[in-house]
Amino acid sequence: MIHLPREETKAMVAVHGWSGILLGLLLYAVVLTGTAAVFAEEIGAWSAGHLATQSAFERPMAETLRRLGDETPAQYREAVDLFETGDHDLGLFFHRHEMDGGELISRGLFYVIGQDGRVTHRQQGTNEDVYGARNDNALSAFLVDTHVRLHVPNPWGLLLTGILGLSMLVAAISGLLIHRHLFKDIFTLRRSGSAVLANRDAHSVAGTWSLPFAFILAFTGSFFSFFGTVGMPVVAMAAFGGNVQALTEAVYGNPGKPDPRPAAIGNMDRINADAIARAGAIPTFVTIENFGRADAKVTTYHPPKAAAIAPMSLLYDGATAAFLQEKPLIGPKPSAGGTLAAIMSPLHFGNFAGLLSKAIWFGLGFAMCYVTYTGIRLWLVRREGGVRSFAWLERTNMVVGLGLPFALAASAAAFLLAMPLGSATWWTPAGFLVGAALAVGAGAIAPDAARLSAWLRNATAVLLLALPPVRLLTGGPSWGRAFAAGQPIIVTLDIAFLLAGGWMLWSLRDRAHAHRPSIALQPAE
Amino acid sequence: MTDTSRRWIRIAFAGPGAVLIALVVMAGMALWLPGGAAGIDNLVLPLILAPLLWAGLFFHACLDRSLGRVATVALGLLLVHSALIAHKFLDKSPASTEAHR
Repeated sequence: MIHLPREETKAMVAVHGWSGILLGLLLYAVVLTGTAAVFAEEIGAWSAGHLATQSAFERPMAETLRRLGDETPAQYREAVDLFETGDHDLGLFFHRHEMDGGELISRGLFYVIGQDGRVTHRQQGTNEDVYGARNDNALSAFLVDTHVRLHVPNPWGLLLTGILGLSMLVAAISGLLIHRHLFKDIFTLRRSGSAVLANRDAHSVAGTWSLPFAFILAFTGSFFSFFGTVGMPVVAMAAFGGNVQALTEAVYGNPGKPDPRPAAIGNMDRINADAIARAGAIPTFVTIENFGRADAKVTTYHPPKAAAIAPMSLLYDGATAAFLQEKPLIGPKPSAGGTLAAIMSPLHFGNFAGLLSKAIWFGLGFAMCYVTYTGIRLWLVRREGGVRSFAWLERTNMVVGLGLPFALAASAAAFLLAMPLGSATWWTPAGFLVGAALAVGAGAIAPDAARLSAWLRNATAVLLLALPPVRLLTGGPSWGRAFAAGQPIIVTLDIAFLLAGGWMLWSLRDRAHAHRPSIALQPAE
Repeated sequence: MTDTSRRWIRIAFAGPGAVLIALVVMAGMALWLPGGAAGIDNLVLPLILAPLLWAGLFFHACLDRSLGRVATVALGLLLVHSALIAHKFLDKSPASTEAHR
């Protein structure tokens, strides 16, 4: 227990309140989209109706890789990224690294290999083009992009979400410091008192339970936002005279004597089979350094093994396809810094123990949204009747808090309607903007907060209930086909949307009967 | 010193001061931290610890009753790490670069 003196506690209460009020609404948007993005992969499969279950890394690719390597200009053979794209198609990105306005980028040729082994797509561009939104992943890419940078161009978007991460860190630490009875607060939910007291308890209970999680999310999130935008240039300036590429090679590269003699790439099929057998899992990503040279190195990246948190990677000799070593994700040998950096990603995304850890991260993320939303409302209630009116902030909080889920549901509906037409990359953000405009319009014309809340909840519930039928009507796979193809996640998400929509409607009906007063209309605690 | 000016000095240390000093310390740490078994700890740990460095400086500026101590810790860290960076840039010898093994 931390017992701060009175003055310091007062300062921490002010810091806790203002850290939420100044950036709380943006933080809410980042946390809510991040909560949904925990299931980005599953949402991608559900929305696009992906039914293939055989990984691209389990199909023969060695001959295609050699042939495309020969066809690709030598300037783009510095490195190759191999990853799954679309419905378990294979993406091959032959590229070179270069600096662009102080930022390290990859530029080259990108090929997509279909399940029949034929090239279905060929594109010249940078990593931004290759890893950006496509027609079939526009919804999940939209969620991730909103979470990562709120659609603000880089580096400003990342700097903004990094600052939001720091504000969440401040809220989490100050929240811990102002608790006088931490363990008592975890279990205190007074239902018999005033609505304000009940809501304060609910905020406190949700906040206390999710405190360690909030700290981890804020810390890892700000690390990711500042890593490339501020951290790498600053450390590169100190250690490598500003050469970011040299820093990247020192941290991620595989040291060895350069051998630029030409040599055909080894048998990639043998490497894939060996890597899957050793790791017990399909690679999530594969990189080839120095493609077509005698010193080529292949690194395969895999999810963590059972009971481990850090992902694993295996290193192969690119020319002979011989296994060299199991290597840490960062650095050539295991080290404290490498291990800490490697666990940042699973700690942030919650993907270290499959669907179970993802479900826990989703639940705790939802609790964080609740804490942010109710925290702002409590701050406003405490100032009710003061000299300055915050009615506009109360309404804005409701428009963002309840309007954002509605706008996200609208973007999902727009995606489902537009994907068969091939225009989902445009219509998914457009659907979100239409939903957001409707929520803002409702905020402007609603006669009172209770009515606005009911409108937005009802509209969100209706949209959630409509998503599964719209998916089916626009050509998505039926439950029977999804089960037969071994993709139960499509059915699971359909049921989840139906339950969420049904529960929202049911709770609204319950509320209408009970006539519970809004906390904003009650006298301050 | 009046209470108002003390408050503004505290805000300066907690706000822009904490950001600036965290950046300088992050850069300076790369020069004195050991490289570890892989020779990369001095490069990676400052990147990981940067948010915590900032949070430490922010909460110290908010909570320490002695403004003198706040200034001593913050300016001390700034001076030591600035000196390390300046020494690195003034040192022409190539042996003093890159990772510490």
